Amino acid sequence: MLKKMLLTATLLCATSSVLAELVVVVNPANANALDSKTVQRIFLGKDKKFADGNETIAVNQAAATEIRQNFDQEVLGRSSSQVSAYWSKLVFTGKGIPPKEVATDAEVIDLVSRNPSVIGYINKASVTDAVKIVEM
Amino acid sequence: MIKLNKNLSVIAVAVLATFQAQADIRINGFANLTGGITSSEDSLYDYDDNIGFASQSLFAIQVSGDINDKMTATGQLVARGSNDYSADFEWAYITYQTSDNTSVSAGRLRMPLFKYSASLDVGYSYHWVVAPQSVYGVPFNNIDGVRFDYSGYTGDLEYSFQFTTGNIDSEFTLAGASAALVIDNVVAITGDFAYKNWKFRGVYATGKVNFDIPDLEPAFTQLSQLSASLSDKLQASDDSGIFYGGSIEYDVFDWFVAAEYTGVEISDSFYPDEVNYYVTAGIRTGKWTPFITYEKSDLNNGPKFLSEISGFPAAFQPGVTQLVVAIQQPAVAEDNTISVGVRYDLDTNVALKADIVKRTNDINDKEDSLLRFAVNYVF
Repeated sequence: MLKKMLLTATLLCATSSVLAELVVVVNPANANALDSKTVQRIFLGKDKKFADGNETIAVNQAAATEIRQNFDQEVLGRSSSQVSAYWSKLVFTGKGIPPKEVATDAEVIDLVSRNPSVIGYINKASVTDAVKIVEM
Repeated sequence: MIKLNKNLSVIAVAVLATFQAQADIRINGFANLTGGITSSEDSLYDYDDNIGFASQSLFAIQVSGDINDKMTATGQLVARGSNDYSADFEWAYITYQTSDNTSVSAGRLRMPLFKYSASLDVGYSYHWVVAPQSVYGVPFNNIDGVRFDYSGYTGDLEYSFQFTTGNIDSEFTLAGASAALVIDNVVAITGDFAYKNWKFRGVYATGKVNFDIPDLEPAFTQLSQLSASLSDKLQASDDSGIFYGGSIEYDVFDWFVAAEYTGVEISDSFYPDEVNYYVTAGIRTGKWTPFITYEKSDLNNGPKFLSEISGFPAAFQPGVTQLVVAIQQPAVAEDNTISVGVRYDLDTNVALKADIVKRTNDINDKEDSLLRFAVNYVF
């Protein structure tokens, strides 16, 4: 528990030291037009397929990270606790499974670059050629 | 009842067997530790003036596994304080995702009566300490049967429909005495709509209702000697019952207001026509959500069947009237409840809550006050 808290604290310090601007990223091969509403629906488990019929796999950052809290607030329009309450409703009614969580931008990039179905978000400063920014 | 339990355990075993055969198993859980204490001499929701935790606390584990791409098995094991924390499989069902918009679930499921039915036991999913009992305090919540789900959206309008059918079997307490309720041929249709910040819901359900209330048997026997037809009318035995309800919610995240209304009618029975509703509002400010709820429950709409007594010889009328009223009396109630409380989001999976509840019996003006506090946890 203490370890987790320390890790959280380190992550918080690490992320807040950079002026974080988050961007939503997909695989460069993903040619679907995505607006903020669609991204919201994908991350809330409401859209299970992209417009081209491919499955959507959203990847979240860990709940304690600043980027996650910013994403929940700015893109999903609610606090991380409210998002978590939303998912608890779906999980315990068998209606949905929340997006998988990873700990770093690098892991998001890795998952996105390996699968055209994956959609994630990272700090703009972390963007590489392996991913494509979604203009919203 | 025995047959039913057997069926359920077959489902539970099937669900467990699926888990063992599958690598991809999800285990989630939730817990509500809810404590309460009433004002001296008061009593409310099985709390009294000694601090108690049993009445509304529960711990649950949900296990689900993917049988294949389209099929999922889910089992929920719940230990309720009110049942001495002995764990029961309250849900055990298999869902078949027939398309992106449709699915079929079969087994033991939550009966979709209310807006919060599906997540009723997951305290973390709502702002209340416990969902308003005036509306949510029904003797059954689960059904053995099949549910069809359809959901979709056009533009900003999201909609989902559920069709549920099956049987309900439950035990409950009426006026302090144990009783049984069996509802066969249950059919329930619900529609949920979300448009921007608005949410609307409607439900209509019917079934063949059977109440078995040992305490009322002597009165029914007496009445049937005077009039078999009137006794038949008052008994709830394979009599059609209807349940209807609606809810509305406006939520702009910084604040919300919601109301829900439900009614029950089992016309050909002793059971009074019942109407319940609540209105609730809250403000979300940072980690705090202070809220207020007003509830009303009304099962006090005059004794039924009195007009039929006029056909009896005058000498019998007082006796018959007394019996007809006495049989209906145990279910009669009318009360209103006000509660004020706060939720605090300690973490993204833990909430702390407290509220003060005052319920007023509108028939005898007796008031009962309760202070509750809770820890809600999900994992």
